[in-house]
Amino acid sequence: MSTMVTGIPKVFRQRYASLVDDPEAFFSCLGSMQPRSFRVNTLKSGRKHVVERFEGYGFEIKQVPWYRDAFVSAEPDVGSTLEHFTGEIYMQELVSMLPPVVLRKDLMKAKNVLDGCAAPGSKATQMAAIMGNMGLIVANDVSYSRIKALKFNQEKTGAANMVITNLDLRNFPQHNFDIVLLDAPCSAEGTIRKSCGISEMWSERHIKKLSSLQKQLIVKAFDLMSPGGLMVYSTCTFAPEENESVVNHLVEKRPARLEEIDVPGFRLSDPLQEWRGETFSEKIKNCIRVWPHHNNTGGFFMARVGK
Amino acid sequence: MKKEILHYFRERFGIPPSCFQTFSLYAASRGRIYVGPETTIPRPEPVSVGILAARTGNAIKPTTAILQLLGRHATRNIVRISRKDAEKFAGGQDLKAGETEATEGYVLVSYQDTPLGCGFLKGGTVRSMIPKAKRLQLKFL
Ligand SMILES: C[S@@+](CC[C@H](N)C(=O)[O-])C[C@H]1O[C@@H](n2cnc3c(N)ncnc32)[C@H](O)[C@@H]1O
Repeated sequence: MSTMVTGIPKVFRQRYASLVDDPEAFFSCLGSMQPRSFRVNTLKSGRKHVVERFEGYGFEIKQVPWYRDAFVSAEPDVGSTLEHFTGEIYMQELVSMLPPVVLRKDLMKAKNVLDGCAAPGSKATQMAAIMGNMGLIVANDVSYSRIKALKFNQEKTGAANMVITNLDLRNFPQHNFDIVLLDAPCSAEGTIRKSCGISEMWSERHIKKLSSLQKQLIVKAFDLMSPGGLMVYSTCTFAPEENESVVNHLVEKRPARLEEIDVPGFRLSDPLQEWRGETFSEKIKNCIRVWPHHNNTGGFFMARVGK
Repeated sequence: MKKEILHYFRERFGIPPSCFQTFSLYAASRGRIYVGPETTIPRPEPVSVGILAARTGNAIKPTTAILQLLGRHATRNIVRISRKDAEKFAGGQDLKAGETEATEGYVLVSYQDTPLGCGFLKGGTVRSMIPKAKRLQLKFL
């Protein structure tokens, strides 16, 4: 495992060593295997049924305390089960399940939802399940090839309340959505454990480029919300330029309200107040970070924004 | 068109129209019928709406996607198969139908009350209609 850790560039270590509570635990966690996880797709099945079947297979699975439908398992063959074939379960990283979870109550009431960067559809299909296939989800993505995977997952999960659009979100026509999810394209530093190393694309220059795209996307996403609407902005990366700095940009440009996020049973951490000379607005305090070594997951960032 | 499709699912499989109540049906090119949200947005035009439910033409052909989603409500033209056959079916292989009450044509193939997908029953054989991309070598079932 240590080979993966040494695969982490020095610049990366330097950036984060000072930000994290326990650098040693953090870097060693990044070099360790991440447990597999899945959620029960309630559009097609139920927890009880899946648990019974998996116990019948002799699988050890563990429900997570913060989301009833989510399970972790060391079992390598989850992908070869009948339930995976039928779409009764969906394999998804735990942190990737967080945005729909923090929107759960709102999704149950929502009439129309936009997932601005939706492919391959893990969160969009999870939202469809929470909505019980009612209402409307517009799942948008700029990449046509990734939309194929989104379509595949939509069919597999039976998320019939979803339509797919293929636009650069920045060009999306004006609309009033009750809920907008902006799971932005990011440098994906938080997925190092899953991908067994950092992406070759990784550089501070690349982070800056993504940051400026994310700033455009978040303002656009805010403009697509109805008054009284809600947005979750999320990334799976640690870079403050792609997280706090992006949300800070939004509160400078628009009258955005940052709401508190609580996920009982899951350890969330405070966001940064400043980074490399940039001091963030007080409002940013309500954003949350997820450090991998706290819950044995990937890394994540979220903001819950009201209008 | 909508009536015809609802009628088909009720007549062929016993799936009641109420199962489609919270959805709308959308007709697309080449006779494709999608089951999608009750309302959608006018702009931008979606590249797809809902999930493909059936292809129409000379005959109506239901998809595995819709039979997996609504198959639990089906009451007839169900071919119940063994574990060994479920493995084959998921992998895209044809099966011997054995004793079945189903009549020839498209059937719901089911294993231990779990709807697996669409098959085509003819001359005692069930052809697996599972699309190539969805086929899977099952190890646990
Ligand atoms: C982190 S991924 C989304 C993952 C997805 N939400 C899920 O849970 O499965 C980011 C996505 O943003 C898309 N994207 C990048 N730039 C975009 C833009 N300008 N407009 C819309 N989508 C964009 C990428 O194609 C990519 O699929």
